[in-house]
Amino acid sequence: MSDVLLAGVSVSYGTKPVLRGLDLDVRSGEWLSLIGPNGAGKTTVLRAIARLARFEGDIRIGGRALAGMGTRDVARRVAMLLQEPQMPAGMTVSQYVLLGRSPHLGYLGKESGKDRRIVADILRRLALDEFASRSLDQLSGGERQRVAIARALAQRAPVLLIDEPTTSLDMGRQQAVLELIDELRAEQELTVIAAMHELTLAGQYSDRLALLVQGALVAVGPPDEILTESAISDHYRANVRIVDMNGSGHAVVPVRK
Amino acid sequence: MRAHHLLVAGVLFLASCGGSASPPPATQSAHFPVTLVGSTGVSVTITKQPHRIVSLSPTATEMLFAIGAGPQVVAVDDQSNFPASAPHTKLSGFQPNIEAIAAYAPDLVVAADDIGGLVHGLQAVNIPILIEGPAKTIDDSYRQMVQLGTATGQGAGADSVVAKERSDVAAIVATLAKPTRALKIYHELDSTYYTATSATFIGQVYKVLGLSNIADAATGAAPDYPQLSAEYIVSSNPDLIVLADTNCCRQDRGTVAARPGWSVIAAVKSGEVINVDDDVASRWGPRMIDFLRVVAPHVRDIEKQAA
Amino acid sequence: MLGIFGPRAEPAAGALIALGGLPRLRWVWGAAGFASLLIAAAVGALVGPVHIGLGTVFAALLSHVPWLGSSVSGVDPGQATILWSLRFPRVVLGALVGGMLATAGAAYQGVFRNPLADPYLLGAAAGANLGATLAIAFAPGGSFIGVNLVPLAAFAGAGAAVAGAFALGRTVTGLRTATGLILAGVAVAAFFNAIQTYVQQSQTNSLRQVYSWILGRLVTAGWDGVLLVLPYVALSLVVIYVHRRLLDALSVGEDEVVTLGVSVRRVRLIVVIAATLGTAAVVAVAGTIAFVGIIVPHTIRLLAGRSYRVVVPLSMLFGAAFIVLADTAARTVVSPGELPIGVITAFVGAPFFIAVMRSTRVAAL
Repeated sequence: MSDVLLAGVSVSYGTKPVLRGLDLDVRSGEWLSLIGPNGAGKTTVLRAIARLARFEGDIRIGGRALAGMGTRDVARRVAMLLQEPQMPAGMTVSQYVLLGRSPHLGYLGKESGKDRRIVADILRRLALDEFASRSLDQLSGGERQRVAIARALAQRAPVLLIDEPTTSLDMGRQQAVLELIDELRAEQELTVIAAMHELTLAGQYSDRLALLVQGALVAVGPPDEILTESAISDHYRANVRIVDMNGSGHAVVPVRK
Repeated sequence: MRAHHLLVAGVLFLASCGGSASPPPATQSAHFPVTLVGSTGVSVTITKQPHRIVSLSPTATEMLFAIGAGPQVVAVDDQSNFPASAPHTKLSGFQPNIEAIAAYAPDLVVAADDIGGLVHGLQAVNIPILIEGPAKTIDDSYRQMVQLGTATGQGAGADSVVAKERSDVAAIVATLAKPTRALKIYHELDSTYYTATSATFIGQVYKVLGLSNIADAATGAAPDYPQLSAEYIVSSNPDLIVLADTNCCRQDRGTVAARPGWSVIAAVKSGEVINVDDDVASRWGPRMIDFLRVVAPHVRDIEKQAA
Repeated sequence: MLGIFGPRAEPAAGALIALGGLPRLRWVWGAAGFASLLIAAAVGALVGPVHIGLGTVFAALLSHVPWLGSSVSGVDPGQATILWSLRFPRVVLGALVGGMLATAGAAYQGVFRNPLADPYLLGAAAGANLGATLAIAFAPGGSFIGVNLVPLAAFAGAGAAVAGAFALGRTVTGLRTATGLILAGVAVAAFFNAIQTYVQQSQTNSLRQVYSWILGRLVTAGWDGVLLVLPYVALSLVVIYVHRRLLDALSVGEDEVVTLGVSVRRVRLIVVIAATLGTAAVVAVAGTIAFVGIIVPHTIRLLAGRSYRVVVPLSMLFGAAFIVLADTAARTVVSPGELPIGVITAFVGAPFFIAVMRSTRVAAL
């Protein structure tokens, strides 16, 4: 089981509180997107679950508390896709994706044939097999995004955290990436928690949305409940119209007054 | 004696009144003002016999006291440890502090090197400074003593010291036989095999003793103080090893013999590894004769063995 | 874009899915490394201020091989002594020093993700220099439990400096970032350097010795010197070698690699301690030889590949060869005098590196 439970989670950077007493329950296999204005703490929630940030409170994954787990155990349960992953020049795609197998190796362990097969398989599925020997600095933005996803998938972790999957991608690539994640989620029974600022896309792909404002959870629910004009215009201080697209979600349209 | 001196003094005084002085021999009675040129080519004019001399050079200190100018010295630097009666201070010849020197109100400063703007600084406060740098030959050493004699009005003392040294050296050399083959010397300055070639004072002393210095082949590395490689020293097979690193590095016959590969050296096998006081070996003053007296018997021994 | 092969499909165990693009140490480079080390050792054994022929060198070598040795005769004992007591240990020591410094440099570059990192980054050189200076100035010729005091003090100084950098880094940044540790190392190095300079300048009698030590020299303490550093170097190299996969992993950045299940702090601590141990040992005996820790690993990266699975083993081999050759030059260029080896590594290394840079496409590090 890979449900994620946050209970009373608070995070402070220095003396500045970023998350205050957050309670959130993410069901196994669902796609929950964190939305909210800048500085709301979306990335911080993800970092806390990935144990990259110190938190107070309780976070449990599949019932097990995060606090007591070793670094490897956490990495076997949680894979994180950062907003701007570092792609060291000179490293090849296959080597980079193979790094995703690290949580399954001993401290000084070597990758086995099985690890290499898993990586080869993932590259094939993501249409990256021609790029296997390509150096990372020779990839386009979209290709790099796919490579980063590949590495996260190689971890075979049941929980996938994604920080802004659509930044700096054009519309076509944005859709392609989100479709890909959705398919993989279904196939591998992943629990996906994504921080997204693109509200329309968030509404189209997520099972539920969680609206964060200044470190506190304001609302949680299915997209059509959360994406209301009053909620968005209040919390984002933006002029918007919500348009029902008859079966294809809701579009959040900025309006110029 | 006295009358003779007074007569010469009178003649010279009349002959060179008011003009720049010429080098030795000068006389006991002050013959001032006098202009001298030091080792760096800078000239200094001393207007009257100095009685507040500051020495920043251990060798100059030894020379000053040997020629009889001791009572005229008011301060010597922190490295001047001979003679023990010299007025020891914390002044540094390596990092001279002009103000500290000037505090002694000197009328003559003697140093071995113009470090840190020493000459410029002292000239700015009108203190005469005489540079007596490291001597390259034995005659240089004699010249320096005579010059100090002129500078301090102890010309006669200087002359007699120099004369005695000359005769002492000649006497020692006379006791040495002419060897059948050139006897080789290795002079060690520190335990990383720095040595001194014949282009140094100590090298010249060895030359006087008729020794062949193995360091002379290494002038490519440095003309005066090169660093030798161990295997060269071993293969040169010196007959005599002089350790000038007893104080700094605690080397002696035993430690040398324990060095890997050194036990095959002739000097080590015959036990001709001698310690000399680091200071005596590094200065170019009147104690050079003591150094000769220590080394010469060993040279005689080796000559006997080689014969 | 995707073909979906069903939920959680494992690839068939027997299916030959070759994974290209993985970093491997190509055997060509490994062979080149060994060959260059052998050639360097041969040159180091044959060349020197004393001319010794090839036959004598072989004979001297063989005469120390058990069971074979007694059958070798006719070797001039003087030359045999020079070879066995002076030249051979010097060659071996050079190999250990060079291999260690190059590998430690590579390890530091990996741990701190900084191309300018060298084995002295956390203050090891400053600490060693201070220890040696104190020993040379105040306790010359002294020894402790039968070992010369200077290398002991240098070793202790290097260790103290790095430990100080860790302690300082921990109190200031909690050791959370590599940058914090580097800054702490810079501070410690500056402090130790200041004290060292003061002591050095105030103890003028030992000035020449101190300078000579700092510039680096393969002091031939015979096989004793070799045996002194061997256990530290061996341990250090082994530890760094088995961490080469982790060094590769660290290159994606500290946050990311934690999400991959790698305990960055632990890896950093272990690798730094190992590299420092070996560095301190060789520095204690050979002084602070500069340049090796940067030139050798970077040249290997430009020529043979950037993965630490390539850089670590090749740094050992080529670093060893480099120092053996540099030392040979140090004792032949102004023969029979000697130059400090640090002069040679700088003179030779810099232009060589520039030449390599210009001839190879330089990727951003």
